[in-house]
Amino acid sequence: MADRKVAVQLTGLRKRFGDLEVLKGVSLTAHSGDVIAIIGGSGSGKSTLLRCINFLETPTAGEVRLHGELVAMKPDGEGGFRAADPAQLNRLRARLGMVFQSFNLWPHRTVLENVIEAPVHVLGQNRDAAIANAERLLDRVGLLAKRDVYPEMLSGGQKQRAAIARALAVDPHAMLFDEPTSALDPELVGEVLSVIADLAREGRTMILVTHEMQFARNVASEIIFLRNGLIEEQGKPSDVFDNPKSEALRAFLAPKY
Amino acid sequence: MTALALPTRRRLRKVMPVYRMIYIAIGLATLYLIVTGLSWDWLPKYLPKLWTGFQISLAIWAASVIFGFLIALPLGLAQVLSRGPLRWLSVAYCTTLRGTPLLMQLWLFYYGLGAMMTQIPGIRSTVLWPYLREAWPFAVLALSLNFAAYAGEIMRGAFAGVGRGEIEAGKAFGMSSTKVFFRIWLPLALRQALPTLAGETVMQLKAIPLVATVTVPEMYAVISQSRHDTLLTYEPLLLIAGIYLSLTFLLVQALAAVERRFSLAKR
Amino acid sequence: MDFLNITDWSLLALNSPGWGGALLWGAVKTVQIALGGYIIGQIIGVCGAMGKVYGPPWLKELLAIYTTLIRAVPELILILILFYAGTAALNTLAAKIGMGPIDVNGALAGVLVISTVQGAYSTEVIRAAIQSIPSGCHEAAAAYGMSKWTTFKRVTLPLLVPRALPGMSNLWVIATKETALLSVVGFSELALVAKQAAGSTKYYMTFFLAACAIYLTITLISRVFFNQVEARFSRGMVKHK
Repeated sequence: MADRKVAVQLTGLRKRFGDLEVLKGVSLTAHSGDVIAIIGGSGSGKSTLLRCINFLETPTAGEVRLHGELVAMKPDGEGGFRAADPAQLNRLRARLGMVFQSFNLWPHRTVLENVIEAPVHVLGQNRDAAIANAERLLDRVGLLAKRDVYPEMLSGGQKQRAAIARALAVDPHAMLFDEPTSALDPELVGEVLSVIADLAREGRTMILVTHEMQFARNVASEIIFLRNGLIEEQGKPSDVFDNPKSEALRAFLAPKY
Repeated sequence: MTALALPTRRRLRKVMPVYRMIYIAIGLATLYLIVTGLSWDWLPKYLPKLWTGFQISLAIWAASVIFGFLIALPLGLAQVLSRGPLRWLSVAYCTTLRGTPLLMQLWLFYYGLGAMMTQIPGIRSTVLWPYLREAWPFAVLALSLNFAAYAGEIMRGAFAGVGRGEIEAGKAFGMSSTKVFFRIWLPLALRQALPTLAGETVMQLKAIPLVATVTVPEMYAVISQSRHDTLLTYEPLLLIAGIYLSLTFLLVQALAAVERRFSLAKR
Repeated sequence: MDFLNITDWSLLALNSPGWGGALLWGAVKTVQIALGGYIIGQIIGVCGAMGKVYGPPWLKELLAIYTTLIRAVPELILILILFYAGTAALNTLAAKIGMGPIDVNGALAGVLVISTVQGAYSTEVIRAAIQSIPSGCHEAAAAYGMSKWTTFKRVTLPLLVPRALPGMSNLWVIATKETALLSVVGFSELALVAKQAAGSTKYYMTFFLAACAIYLTITLISRVFFNQVEARFSRGMVKHK
């Protein structure tokens, strides 16, 4: 257990937007094979935390280690930090497959082109090999028939499955899911969750922000409850869900109706 | 003391960064050079004429915007409601007037139509004749028809953009078609079209100097005359550029205020 | 109708007593000047938009001054100012390097004037197009480790072109129409030829209608062309009516 590789390690992470401090010192470690679900109310900072991992938001303080490598930061001259070495950041980012709430597929490329974009144009893979791999991944998420269709023609669930195939195509050290089902119609949520659950079962390293509590309980190896920019509770799903220690978590988990 | 001074200075630097100070300094220096370095002794003599020209310019602008807009409403509506000849006529009208230079249209109306009018037998004895000998009616006509083409295209989009739901709701409450049009369709379309229409009125203001080419004594015509009399190249042109700059600025501010008022009611 | 009787269609004949050939020559001049001004204007526009979106604050503000000034002054007056100022500047320059006063090529002056005006409008068109690209597209590119240049080449540019094309095709029509204003500074193009023809024959209606028809033809042909270009570049875009 202890000798598993560390895929993502955050230490003392802080993030401030103007006068508002969204993250107030968060540390977490994802070993390879971990499935960490971050839960919490709106405004708790969970999306910001996820976006700080690949520097879509630059942390105001703290350290980010990806695959054991420290992301170099330097002062940005306005009291904050930015990535010191764009080449390093891009190299590390390329191996983090991110799945967005609003899909963010590139609308001018077909489903297949979306999937091979990063492998070919960032990782520099051979195009034919990338296509073969992409077809395998599209088949896996059940979208092979849609390979030459533009994203605009897909349903929300199909878009998100295409986005997952795109994330898998970079052979990620860790996958980041930012509320992957929040923008979906209720009847489409299931098809996306079942794909993610499959990936969790085969031992993919994942960090996901989600509102689907039942799903988090079933697939996660660890639950993190974020509140007001700090980790309020952390542990195995059975512990966190069945024996919430804090009042806030109990209130959060209580049925709303 | 430093604790207080630092944020103040930082805030000041945000409002007035160094580059902005440099730009303002360059602007003021240019203005100073223009005022002191160029000759302006001709100006007092032309001021009364300029003032009249200014009023003519504004009057032609306002008249053409109002008439043009009134013509634009049926043009836009025809393209949305009709599937037949009315629609094609309207499309052809907008395409033709938008596809040819306003200057040509002005000349066509003033020189072409004006010349033809004089040949109509008996026209000299009608009440219209005094106007037909003037240039400005032709200028207003050409500018109105031209504005109508652009505004008509905008209104077409705006009429088409109003949701079926709002109109259906009106019908469901038993409003007549006219009532639905004036109380729901038109106001919603106007609100949507307002920013683009506002931009078009600014464009129209900038088109006014063209009417000097058909002998209307508006502001640019006075400037042109003064250049001819004084043989000055730049001064009169810089003056009118400055006047238009201020006019456009004022108009944009006013239109923005109108838009704010309407968008406030929207939400 | 009266109208058919009062005109003499032989005036539009291509050969010498007719003015048709002169009108077509003017039309060619018009297209040449418009094309020159348009192309340079679009280059200014691309650079200006890049500066306005990605540039440092001082550059953004400088470009804002340029686009605001140019767009707030009537084109006719701008053309006169730029024409005389440009001529004077070139002559000063010629005197400096020991040349006598040069007769500024009207075509060159026309191209410069139109490109200056077009550049200001084009900057705004392209800036708006860049800013209308959904931020998620850039975010995804960043998340997958694309460098700035790769992101621009693979994501921004292909998404930018279909968004900017309608505005750019509109600017082309404006450029062709703007050339008519050059007649005021005595540059011989379609409008001035039509005016001369009309003046010397007194058939005003005939020649101005003919000139309008030529302008309209240019516009319509350009529209067909731009529609095809748009269809070619709008991959994956759903046309919302």
